[in-house]
Amino acid sequence: MPEIDVLLRVARTLVPRPADAEDLVQDTLIRAYRSIESFDGSHPRAWLLTIMRNAQINRTRRRRPELLDDPDAALEQSDEQDEHRHSPEAVVVGASFDAVVVDALDALPDRFRQVVELIDVDGLTYAEAAEAIGAPVGTVMSRLHRARTRIRNRLAAAGLAPRSGTR
Amino acid sequence: MRNWIRRRRAEREATCAEVAQVLQSYLDGHVDDLTARRVSRHLEHCRRCGLEAETYQAIKDALARRGREVDAQTLERLRAFGTRLAEEGRAGEADSPA
Repeated sequence: MPEIDVLLRVARTLVPRPADAEDLVQDTLIRAYRSIESFDGSHPRAWLLTIMRNAQINRTRRRRPELLDDPDAALEQSDEQDEHRHSPEAVVVGASFDAVVVDALDALPDRFRQVVELIDVDGLTYAEAAEAIGAPVGTVMSRLHRARTRIRNRLAAAGLAPRSGTR
Repeated sequence: MRNWIRRRRAEREATCAEVAQVLQSYLDGHVDDLTARRVSRHLEHCRRCGLEAETYQAIKDALARRGREVDAQTLERLRAFGTRLAEEGRAGEADSPA
């Protein structure tokens, strides 16, 4: 099972508690072995990520049956809060580039943060991240690019990146 | 001649607006070869787009440095779990009537 470390990294991105991440990987492995006969042998990582996503959906349904919020609206709302919370004056003077990036990442709504982590931290491709969260590749790209733009704007506010439109 | 002109047009350098549209996908290696060449030629001399590319690349690098360390013991437990599942599966196959 060479993909177990990838599964564990992705699980840590999808669920906040380490113990839940381990449970999710176990659940994924059980489901994978149960359905191994229907697997055609190609793209094992994508196949396992799809199984993990379905396992995660079932776990979330069991725990939180209410409808999930619209993720795009969440980013807009978070944008408004962010403007107040992270005005240039609020940014710690002398904060390092990496610290501001991590701070901006943590301030993103979950679905945007997850996509950035899956691709930039865990090293998945757009297609693999799409499998992991069960969204079209276009949605992954849109969330990723908007999230990185937000991080970039936070860096600009901290004086660590050029402001948009600077020549 | 017409094909040559068409190729030359297709190969022309990307504009700032086009670069802004695809910059992140370009840095992720998710654009086709022709687009990558056109963007790359533009970035060679456009200061604004070059700074933008450097900023996004630095963000990607900072995030990659954050690389999630997986707990070795957890990984070991999960590997053992996977091996057990595989062995049980094989034992089940052997037990089942032909």
